[in-house]
Amino acid sequence: MNTFMALSKKEVTQMTKEFKIVWLPIVFILLGLTQPIMMYYMPVILQSMGGVEGIMIDPTMAKPDGSEVLASTLSSQFDQLGIIILAVATMGIIQGEKANGMMAFILTRPVSISSYLNSKIIVHYIVAVFCIALGYGMSYGYTSYLFTTVPVMQGLLALALYCVWLLFVITFVAMMSTFFNSSAFIALVSIVVLFICRFIAGLHPFLDVVNPASNSLHATTILMSGGMKAWYGIHIAVTMFLVIWMIATMHHFIAKKKF
Amino acid sequence: MRLEINKITKRFKHKTAVNSFSMVVDANECVGLIGPNGAGKSTLIQIIADILYADEGEILLDGQQISTMKHQIGYLPQYPNFFSWMTAFETLSFMGTLSGLSKNELQDEIPLLLEKVGLEKEAHFQVGTFSGGMKQRLGIAQALLHKPALMIMDEPVSALDPIGRREVLNLLKEIKKETTILLSTHILSDAEEICERFVVIQNGHKIEDATKDQLLERHQESAIYVEIRQEDFKWVTMVEQLSYVKKIENERNGFKIHVLHLEEDAQRLLQYALDSNVILLKFEMGIQESLEEIFLELVV
Repeated sequence: MNTFMALSKKEVTQMTKEFKIVWLPIVFILLGLTQPIMMYYMPVILQSMGGVEGIMIDPTMAKPDGSEVLASTLSSQFDQLGIIILAVATMGIIQGEKANGMMAFILTRPVSISSYLNSKIIVHYIVAVFCIALGYGMSYGYTSYLFTTVPVMQGLLALALYCVWLLFVITFVAMMSTFFNSSAFIALVSIVVLFICRFIAGLHPFLDVVNPASNSLHATTILMSGGMKAWYGIHIAVTMFLVIWMIATMHHFIAKKKF
Repeated sequence: MRLEINKITKRFKHKTAVNSFSMVVDANECVGLIGPNGAGKSTLIQIIADILYADEGEILLDGQQISTMKHQIGYLPQYPNFFSWMTAFETLSFMGTLSGLSKNELQDEIPLLLEKVGLEKEAHFQVGTFSGGMKQRLGIAQALLHKPALMIMDEPVSALDPIGRREVLNLLKEIKKETTILLSTHILSDAEEICERFVVIQNGHKIEDATKDQLLERHQESAIYVEIRQEDFKWVTMVEQLSYVKKIENERNGFKIHVLHLEEDAQRLLQYALDSNVILLKFEMGIQESLEEIFLELVV
């Protein structure tokens, strides 16, 4: 436990020295702001870009509901640009220390591989949750101001479900970072796989059970309809199982010194 | 602490780096692992430090698997690498915490240790600004911090300038009084200064394991070195005809006479010199090679 605390503290200090703890929240705040503001000014933007002549019935021109705006913050900002930024910010989590020999050096001490891995994943996860929550909070505020107010409980529940998907994202990038040595490759593979997961979410109910991205889909459903989709408990359980399995795989990989 | 290495084999894709290597290091012994570049020294050291995974064999420290005894081991890598944003003090405090030292212990120990390795002025400088020698000394400090019973060092002095090397060697001499030391090097004179025992490794095989004296004795040539007056030089051509003389070489101011059996032939040669009224200016039995020459002879 003592070594876990020491490693976590080191991880936080390192993120501070690299200013990651500053720019990552700022990026997510901007991402959160973009969606409500863009949707609010969409008619003006379209007008200035050429406008519409004649009579046209366009459902998107109608002023959307606040819950729709908040849901699209999750699905079109955080799940696209957000994932790319998180993958790039996290790609060096293990690869960096693997490359300069610090990981092997730290493990010559009486430090268990689990406390090494857990300290990294937990600290990065907490920072990611913090950033997403900030961006989401910003989006929530602007949505209530410019559109309609979403019930607070619905908003929090959606955020909680989104954080389950976020845990998978961080763990997956960490696993890629353990396996591969090129940071560009790690980011590429992570982004491609996570995007595929997100795109196939909702295609088929059975596929959704094993797809962690279905948690993100649940989050948007709650915001849009107010109710939970069926099977959400199973989806969370399966995602947690996948996360534990990935950590076990990383543990095995490092224990066998395949890096 | 007694370190036992049992039949360690490590294969990489294209070559076997360490091949069925066994040795025992007793408590408070200082052993130098010597070999040319690429002999498998670093691989072996890294297996002992539990960084690499041995394909076969096991390593025991006091009868326990070495992976469960990490708090007893101090390890110095060949190129010690630290987080460049940490200061020397923070580095030691971080590594010490990982080894399970308490905050109070660290507060007391670190200044003493930094003074010992000569970094007390740089305690609050960032490691990123350190020179190679300073990093090496910080590496030694972190290996000593938790007072390990076994120190494993991979080329501790190879990358240092003569001054830094002298400082580190003096430091090691002090440490070895209470610690078992295993160090690897390809520079013999360094190992000669601190270690009593040498293990020579080549192509992953152990080819020699002996104390300094044994090594010198084992590689003694059965040759006799004589110096005689100029006017007696023709006596040498007569010596060459003797049945027990293998060959004679000119060396320095005298002759190196290779014989079959050192002790009895020396006696016979002495007698022969007396009989032929030759005055011996110098008579030396068993010419010793330097460790450097023995090393070259072993590995080339």
